[in-house]
Amino acid sequence: MTLQQQIRRNRLRSGIVVVGFVVLLGIIAGLIGAVLDLRLGVVALLGAGLYAIFAIISSRRMVARMTGAQELAPEQLRPLRRLVENVSIAAGLPVTPEVRIVDDPAPNAFAAGIRPKTSYLGVTTGLLRVMPKRELEAVLGHEISHVRNRDTYLMTMATIFAGVIALIADLGFRMLLYGGGRSRRGGALVMVLAVVGLLLAPYAALLLKLSLSRRREFLADAGSAEILNDPEAMALALRRLQLDTTTVAYADASVAHLWVESPTSRVESERRGVMALSSLFDTHPPLEQRIAALEESGGFRLPERLSPDEPFAVELGLA
Amino acid sequence: MLWLWIALGVVAVLVVLVVVGYNRLVRLRNEADTGWANIDVQLQRRGDLIPNLIEAVRGYAAHERGVFEEVTKARAALQQAASPAAAGEANELVSAALGRLFAVAEAYPELRASENFLRLQDELTDTEDKISAARRYYNTTVMHYNTGIQSLPWVLVARPLGFREKEFFSAEGDTAVPQVAFPPQT
Repeated sequence: MTLQQQIRRNRLRSGIVVVGFVVLLGIIAGLIGAVLDLRLGVVALLGAGLYAIFAIISSRRMVARMTGAQELAPEQLRPLRRLVENVSIAAGLPVTPEVRIVDDPAPNAFAAGIRPKTSYLGVTTGLLRVMPKRELEAVLGHEISHVRNRDTYLMTMATIFAGVIALIADLGFRMLLYGGGRSRRGGALVMVLAVVGLLLAPYAALLLKLSLSRRREFLADAGSAEILNDPEAMALALRRLQLDTTTVAYADASVAHLWVESPTSRVESERRGVMALSSLFDTHPPLEQRIAALEESGGFRLPERLSPDEPFAVELGLA
Repeated sequence: MLWLWIALGVVAVLVVLVVVGYNRLVRLRNEADTGWANIDVQLQRRGDLIPNLIEAVRGYAAHERGVFEEVTKARAALQQAASPAAAGEANELVSAALGRLFAVAEAYPELRASENFLRLQDELTDTEDKISAARRYYNTTVMHYNTGIQSLPWVLVARPLGFREKEFFSAEGDTAVPQVAFPPQT
């Protein structure tokens, strides 16, 4: 599968996601209309549409706020900008994405933006302090793959719709519970359907979004390996992330899927008990699995020890 | 009557296949052309920086004429290169000549302290990095394009339709383009 095919498939998938969510929304609105009031259903649908449009327009700024990413002055961190420029030239992006810095000791990075032209990358200071140049380049390659594959677009859409569905289902459910007997209509069967539907819809939306997110991560790893012709660098970077246990302070769960590594701790989810089930709720596949996929396609084994090369922050004069 | 419909259906399917396939080749060719344009921008920039660099060095080391000539010649070869392969070779010559010029410059402490020289050196290193980044992208697009027009059934009609194979931009035969298989879908 060439990258162009991958991109087109992703666009198609984005379309399907949007249609899927619209259908899901329609079902919820229908349920609300059936058991409560037809007008309420229409209002809910309109409200959801308006909210979604607002969220799409403001998503760029919202992500910056939720991650705490700061814009750079033109002369700041020039070597980092250059690195991003080189990686995006190698990726064939028409425009180099802007770089923003998240002041956080946890090594991590993310990509955001709906179109490649307005996209930007966020890099934590922790990442610059931990990664040597070669591995930092691989991480940037991963994020730039997200931009090039239109993952940022797909995931922004999925996040917004999952949010809208959760909101409306919650509202409908509350009205059903506390709305009083007068407003209820329909038979027992419709009632049961409505309760079950409103309860399950948010989870269906969430699972859909998360399964999309996990698949994108494998593709972005492979994309980075292809852009830089260096699958080992990507695997080394992932290993380094694996060994690091700090988590991002601004780790808002609603933007967790944007980062290169899950910004929240995995230890917590392991304590949840049933592993197979809890991994359905992960935004990222386990790092071990991602490293294994790279080793397999690149035909190499990672060395036991990581290279002692000096981190890129030294070159930037940050350390 | 039934046979007529079947024949029509087959023709319709064939037409769709031809249109889709042709559009794919056009797209691949455009991608390769864009990839070449990306390299060309950086080659231009490199060519523009070189005279400034020579001027800067001449001020401190006027008698190193041999090196200047070598750089100038390599730059001329680069600007006259008519094909990607020739440009790739000339580009290697420029890199080698610049390497020698920078080695010579090491012997002049005042030159090494000159802000202008340092800036030019930095910019030239940057273009070199960018050329190799652009080369990776271009070579990948060329590989996809060439594979596209060399595979059946297009190999039979690509030439009459004006699709010619493109050259890689490379030196020392490093045409190997990474093949990273996308991992199994989970």
